[in-house]
Amino acid sequence: MLRVSLEHRFAGVSLTMAFEAPTPGVIALFGPSGAGKTSLMNAMAGLLRPHRFRMELDGVPLERRRPEYRGVGYVFQDGRLFPHMSVRDNLRYGLRRGGAGPVKFDDAVALLGIGALLGRRPRHLSGGERQRVAIGRALLSNPRLLLMDEPLSALDQARRDEILPYLARLRSVLSIPIVYASHSLDEVTRLADTLVLIEAGRVVAAGPLTEMTARVDLPLALREDAGGVLRGVVNSHLPERGLTAISCGADFVWVPQITAPPGTGVRLRVPAREVILAVESPRGISVTNILQAHVVAVAEDAAGHAALVSLELGGGALLARVTRDAAERLRLAPGRPVLALIKAMSVDWHQED
Amino acid sequence: MIFRVFFACLLLLPFGARAADTITVFAAASLTNAMQDIATLWMAGGHPKVVFSFESSGTLAQQIAHGAPANVFVSADEKWMDDLAKRHALLAASRSDLVGNSLVVVEPKQGLKPVKLGAGSNLLAVLGPDGRLAVGDPAHVPAGIYARQALQKMGLWEVASARLAPADSVRAALRLVELGEAPAGIVYGTDVKVTPSLGIAGIFPPDTHDPIRYPVAVLKAHNTAAARDFVAFLHTQPAQDVFLHWGFTAP
Amino acid sequence: MGFYRTVTWPWPLSGDEQEAVYLSLRVAARAVGFGLPLAMIVALLLARGRFPGRFLLNALVHLPLMLPPVVTGWLLLLVFGVEGPVGAWLAARFGVHLAFTESGAALACGVMIFPLMVRAIRLSVEAVDPRLEQAARTLGAHWVDRFLTITLPLAGPGVLAAVVMGYTASLGEFGAVITFAANIPGQTQTLPLAIFSALETQGGEAVAGRLALVSVFLAVGGLVLAEFLSPRRLK
Repeated sequence: MLRVSLEHRFAGVSLTMAFEAPTPGVIALFGPSGAGKTSLMNAMAGLLRPHRFRMELDGVPLERRRPEYRGVGYVFQDGRLFPHMSVRDNLRYGLRRGGAGPVKFDDAVALLGIGALLGRRPRHLSGGERQRVAIGRALLSNPRLLLMDEPLSALDQARRDEILPYLARLRSVLSIPIVYASHSLDEVTRLADTLVLIEAGRVVAAGPLTEMTARVDLPLALREDAGGVLRGVVNSHLPERGLTAISCGADFVWVPQITAPPGTGVRLRVPAREVILAVESPRGISVTNILQAHVVAVAEDAAGHAALVSLELGGGALLARVTRDAAERLRLAPGRPVLALIKAMSVDWHQED
Repeated sequence: MIFRVFFACLLLLPFGARAADTITVFAAASLTNAMQDIATLWMAGGHPKVVFSFESSGTLAQQIAHGAPANVFVSADEKWMDDLAKRHALLAASRSDLVGNSLVVVEPKQGLKPVKLGAGSNLLAVLGPDGRLAVGDPAHVPAGIYARQALQKMGLWEVASARLAPADSVRAALRLVELGEAPAGIVYGTDVKVTPSLGIAGIFPPDTHDPIRYPVAVLKAHNTAAARDFVAFLHTQPAQDVFLHWGFTAP
Repeated sequence: MGFYRTVTWPWPLSGDEQEAVYLSLRVAARAVGFGLPLAMIVALLLARGRFPGRFLLNALVHLPLMLPPVVTGWLLLLVFGVEGPVGAWLAARFGVHLAFTESGAALACGVMIFPLMVRAIRLSVEAVDPRLEQAARTLGAHWVDRFLTITLPLAGPGVLAAVVMGYTASLGEFGAVITFAANIPGQTQTLPLAIFSALETQGGEAVAGRLALVSVFLAVGGLVLAEFLSPRRLK
């Protein structure tokens, strides 16, 4: 368990934040720029000394340790590779000082795919390569906790897509907790286990990603790209129908056939506006997934034209966005059983490891 | 890498090692040429090397008082030698008067106007309406102190003191005249001797100032046999001949 | 002296003149060599440190730059002279004499060039991104480690410039040296002092001219070297 609480005040900004999250796993600090994510991370690394600060990781208090002895690795937004050292020396910098640990040089190099870059200087690297090296450098110091502060925000979409798989691999291979700050919902839903929502120096809510993304009472639900996340395992492939069945708890969710072999962990993201609700079984319809669910909560959006519906399924929770008119026609209210209709084509999937 | 090379070079640097019997002589600046000639004579006789530091006597005496490693001190006046004697810095028995000197008014040879020194002196007329009289600083340079005594004795001090160009040493005063910065100056007779472009416009009568004597002594803290030998050599006839050659007088 | 004797002069200098040149080079090397580590520490303190008395330290370091060199030399004499507190202790405890010795000339030069070196190093340390030092910190590097592996290498060109500048300035140091170390040929008579003495001697212009030529060559050499080592070229 990671427990952090902080109170800090500077230049008219007041931060009061506290959260706890299970470890290991990826803890995402999600919020707009300037919400206080970086200050929180700097405090966790020891680079910022807040007026009040507590930090406990698996029962060990860390707040009094100096940054160099805290064992907290940090991947900065801007990489901060040492310009006068080769990639190899950058990677070894932490390795030589962090002491022995489970992360080995060759493993980290292979994991991040940076073997071909070892002899180069940082200024000859692309932005994506630089961030991968920065991650490797932090990993090789064998930290007890890894902080990543918007590591992809300085990169364009193509570079992000290049790195995200490495990060996903990292979270499954590493046994250390990762705190990942981001303002990109896409990154967060692909990587996080625990979601900590931060706004204006406060923690708005914190909890498991799959629960948080299905709640209607959070600002998250109002976003255009709001959507629930289901975690499942590849069950079987049906090549003749071009489908793959993914088991999420008691439910099966069908998606267009994927390459991952059965047994692979995947997370599915279902955009709220793509979920159709029905109170009786429809016939003659193209939708592949018809899942039984209960309404947990209903809320209206700011304009009052749309209704946000939180659903509980057999193996997770989803969010649906329908018109207010539809919600009234179906008399959607907490506890009401409904059918959630999800086009297989609307489901984004990502491999967990 | 560059640093390592640099420090390696640093380590290779030998510290100044000196032959133990080298004689360091602190001598008044006015003795420069004569002393160098005598040192040449001395070393030609197979004697240990002599090195000189020529400065104003006051500067040298201060340095010796602060521990400067001089074996021999030759002062241009008694005052600074007395000062060191009071500090028990001298080998008392070694103190003696080496040479004497005369005090003169110097002018450029070209257009030299003789100066009458005594009653009705034309010294100020020689300076012209705004020219200054170059002297060693009367506050501490011996030549300047003698100049003040002489001017006072002749009743010229009141008017002349406003027209002085005090210099840091007697050589510097000489240079002012040589460069034409001052139309005349008061220096030692020996100084004029070594400057071909300058001539003596008048000699102060010996009774107008304290006798100009150059005392010499071995310093107690650096009292070596070679130093005592060198001081003895300064009193020999060949050395005295060199002093005479450069315009010094018998003490 | 063997190291220098292997160098043949392209123009004739007398033994005494050569000795003044060698002495100057040696004194400057010692001034820089012993001053540099201290200058680096002080520069780091001034560039990165936040402590009470920082302003005072800064002022103290810059004092020799503001004071007349003669005053600096005299203050050194008061502190390190045989009667000074430090000088008396050094003499009694170690038999070391600084005033009027070659080491003293090096000390005087070192004190005079200290502000120049601190300034050059400080500027280049301040140009090093402190966020890189933070990064090193999270990787487990304590402050000495960070200084040696991050700050110093990145400030390297500035440190080299400080060395060259300090060395060249040392060669020209006059007032403090003549006051603290006197003007003794072969011991403390550095190049500028030898030139000064030559000018004080009747007929010494030729000697002064030759030595002045050496000074010009050394200064130009220093400038060329400083240019060669400038950050622009090393990048």
